[in-house]
Amino acid sequence: MGLIEKTPLPSIQPVKFLLNWGRRYSLWVINFGLACCAIEFIAVSTSKHDFIRLGVIPAAHGPRQADLLVVAGTLTDKMAPALKRVYDQMPDPKYVISFGSCSNCGGPYWDSYSVTKGVDQIVPVDVYVPGCPPRPEALLHGVVRLQEKIAQEDIREKWSGKHTAPAGLR
Amino acid sequence: MASTPRPLASADVEARLRARFGDDVVDFQDQFGHAVATVTPERYREVATFLRDEPEFACDYCDFVGGVDFEDEGLEVVTHLFSTTHHHNVRLKVHLPRERPACPTLSDVFAGADWHERETAEMFGVEFEGHPQPVKLLLSEPFEGHPLRKDFPLMSREAKPWPGAAEGEEGEEEE
Repeated sequence: MGLIEKTPLPSIQPVKFLLNWGRRYSLWVINFGLACCAIEFIAVSTSKHDFIRLGVIPAAHGPRQADLLVVAGTLTDKMAPALKRVYDQMPDPKYVISFGSCSNCGGPYWDSYSVTKGVDQIVPVDVYVPGCPPRPEALLHGVVRLQEKIAQEDIREKWSGKHTAPAGLR
Repeated sequence: MASTPRPLASADVEARLRARFGDDVVDFQDQFGHAVATVTPERYREVATFLRDEPEFACDYCDFVGGVDFEDEGLEVVTHLFSTTHHHNVRLKVHLPRERPACPTLSDVFAGADWHERETAEMFGVEFEGHPQPVKLLLSEPFEGHPLRKDFPLMSREAKPWPGAAEGEEGEEEE
């Protein structure tokens, strides 16, 4: 619990705007790359698409320094605890983008015996990017959507930790 | 070991295996230039050791061990051996009854067979007798069942049937 929670300041519109403006354009990202979608993620980080110009910084030293988790690829039931662990290590406020059909719903592995059908069973997802794999532009669009969401947020609400459970468990 | 490659034709492999193991070579086929021998479980290890140690074969590389589910006709363990000296391939097959599919392990003949056998064991429910570490390799420990068996139920498909046509059935879709 810090200053932000104790004062009414973040509710005042100019302060709220300034705080959210700072947060939305400095998203340190962890690429939880599990399959071919991770390659698309890498393409977005390189010079042609370059999401650094949107403020997404692909050099978080680890989950403890990251704000954004991009789950790119096929999550299996065996891998799921590791994803949960990475997510739990990230400090609030934190965001998750589910990138690609596999992480959205299982995708082509919808009937598999080993694939988790949707990472939203494990962690709360803010933005879903559809595609198999999605084009790099789709991830850029997803990032912009996430930034719009952050701009509207009440930081005290976000920091309360109420929104860190998967949708199904809330 | 000979340094110049002298690959054996499938017919030669068959002649040598039959001469040595007689009726324990249940079946022999040439599949696209690969020798494929079906042997009895009792002498499976012996055949594999023979193929490895005999200079003429020198099958020193165990490429993979896998399984096949033939439903009512039982299960099969398929072991692919390759010679890095002679560049020929020999495949060994062992037929197993569905009630108790038990196959001797090759993990002390070829160390590389160890993980392949663990995978075959968890996927097909084949028991590899004498395996030094008979635990699951890829599946999580609480997983129940053997997912590559044809009677393994896919829960998603139980809830929602496969929406597409099976291969080769496209023409019958029109009803």
